[in-house]
Amino acid sequence: MEFLLQLLTTGVMVGMVYALMALGIVIIVKTTGIFNFAHGTIVAFMCFLAWSMMAQLHLPLWATAIAMVGFAIILGLLIQRLIMNPLIGQPLLAAIMATLALTQVFSGLVTLLWPGPARMYQPFMPSGVIHLGTAVISYQALITFLVAVVTFAAFTLFFQRTKTGLVMRATAEDHQLARSGGIKVTSIFAMAWIIAILSCSIGGVLLGSMHGVNFEPVSGLAYKALPAVMIGGMESIGGAILGGILIGLAENVGAGFLDPLVGGGLADVLPFVVMLIFVIFMPHGFFGHRRIERI
Amino acid sequence: MRPCGTFDRSYAQDMAIFRTRFQWLVLIMGLLFLFGVFPQFGSYYSITVANMIGITIIAAHGLNILTGACGLISLGHAAFVAVGAYISAMLTQHLGLSFWAALPCAAIGTGLVGLIFGLPSLRVKGFYIAVTTLAAHFIIIWAISHGGTLTGGTEGLFVPAINLGGMVITSEKQFFFLIMGFVVLMTFFAKNLLRTRVGRAFIAIRDDDIAAEFTGINIFHYKVLAFFIGAAFAGVAGSLYAHYLRMLTPEYFSFMESVWYVGYIIVGGMGSVAGTIFGVIFLKLLAQAAMIAGPIVGNAIPAISSGAVSGFMQLSFGVIIILFLVFEPRGLNHRWNIAKALMRIWPFSH
Repeated sequence: MEFLLQLLTTGVMVGMVYALMALGIVIIVKTTGIFNFAHGTIVAFMCFLAWSMMAQLHLPLWATAIAMVGFAIILGLLIQRLIMNPLIGQPLLAAIMATLALTQVFSGLVTLLWPGPARMYQPFMPSGVIHLGTAVISYQALITFLVAVVTFAAFTLFFQRTKTGLVMRATAEDHQLARSGGIKVTSIFAMAWIIAILSCSIGGVLLGSMHGVNFEPVSGLAYKALPAVMIGGMESIGGAILGGILIGLAENVGAGFLDPLVGGGLADVLPFVVMLIFVIFMPHGFFGHRRIERI
Repeated sequence: MRPCGTFDRSYAQDMAIFRTRFQWLVLIMGLLFLFGVFPQFGSYYSITVANMIGITIIAAHGLNILTGACGLISLGHAAFVAVGAYISAMLTQHLGLSFWAALPCAAIGTGLVGLIFGLPSLRVKGFYIAVTTLAAHFIIIWAISHGGTLTGGTEGLFVPAINLGGMVITSEKQFFFLIMGFVVLMTFFAKNLLRTRVGRAFIAIRDDDIAAEFTGINIFHYKVLAFFIGAAFAGVAGSLYAHYLRMLTPEYFSFMESVWYVGYIIVGGMGSVAGTIFGVIFLKLLAQAAMIAGPIVGNAIPAISSGAVSGFMQLSFGVIIILFLVFEPRGLNHRWNIAKALMRIWPFSH
């Protein structure tokens, strides 16, 4: 029972980070209809970029944050204007492959610019643990969890309460209608990419502080956002939270109990098994749009 | 587009792969060059590259049938190649079967694995198929890495050499003839399949699955069949790859490999057999160029030296794919057709 409780708390904590990753994918799917497979590598890239600014340029945390916003805007505009805009109206595979090509571009950039062994952030979070009943949570995990929750709250407020958020939701609903309503759809697409990359930066710094500034683990962890998105439903922000936490739980509880039976490593594959089951039996996830074919 | 004065009198003529005497001439010259001239005068290095290109072409044909012809996006093709490689390796290593018995087993076994992961296409399509195959990739590679002594796990599995009538095939040049023989055979299969009822059904499903269903095509049957055939091609390639490498580890079949396979058919031109070959040759040579240019640039700029080769390879691959998607989505095959048409009507402009 204690073991299960520990697994559950860890699962929820990790799941919230997946949810934050999933949020970035959901925002792009919602507005542009493109599923961004490059999310994981962009997270890793932003993670390295933040490291460079903090460790190599010795910028304080607030200056790094401002610079990261600047980079997010530049990257988002570049991706949208140069790659995604020309692909509007092309078949589905073109958009999927463009994001997959972006994974190559970003992982190539990381290997070129930051070669060699993994790096570490200067610790900017307090260390230590707190006890929640019998379960133990490190401060780091707790702060990560809280940052993720705050980010979610901020994005939800943005989408529900601001005019830009309203415009983005309108664009997500129907591109044609949004255009006739006087909304410049391509600018909204660019904004979606910028916001998604901003969430990548937050996720990247959080993952980097947990696992070290290392390409494979960070991008690998961010890949698990894909199952989270599929389970929650591709168009739902609330679904991203649910999906992320479910994946965190499935991974931790499943691996905790089944690993001794199969010889370990289940945490890497369980999210994808869960996703496969969902794709077969419930392809729209919990809160996604059911697609109906009309002839 | 056909040259002036070439017209068909029968259905067989209309469906023929080689229509004119010139095309037969090109075929014979091409085969002579491939099997006669190239291995004689090609350097050891170029034959090594050609072997890798050959194996990749076979697997890419499978993906071209699955994605290019039938429109089912597969992001797990490298895992299907891995299944073929490991089936062949395990049959020859653990059970002592010969390569010639293991190769068909690998093809059918991989086909069945592909078929299992194609089953979700009963309910979902498009993007969801891509996600399913992505999950398939991670699950298959995980299973191979945790297969214990059966698959050798991450430590690797030794594969015995091929025995061809008493002759043990080990050198690059011997492999060249074996691999190119299979390349010619599988290219013919792929080309031929696309003009049969099955191939035309695939294309109909890709263009519009609802319309295809109205014309009496059993969509589910053909989609699963596409998965079977696509994976079977991967199985043949995997079997050859296993005996070519002689030592298998799961690292040869990373997710990036799967992405590269989609890249081959996009650069070549989706749905075209010739385009697949162009795409593989183009990107493989590009990777070789990155391998040569990487250390040179790395020496010039010491800060990036250690990751230069793989970094440049990935970067150039990503940029090339994006450039093709944006500027020439129909791929190299389309350019090739334009060039042929230009030569045919030269010196007139149209």
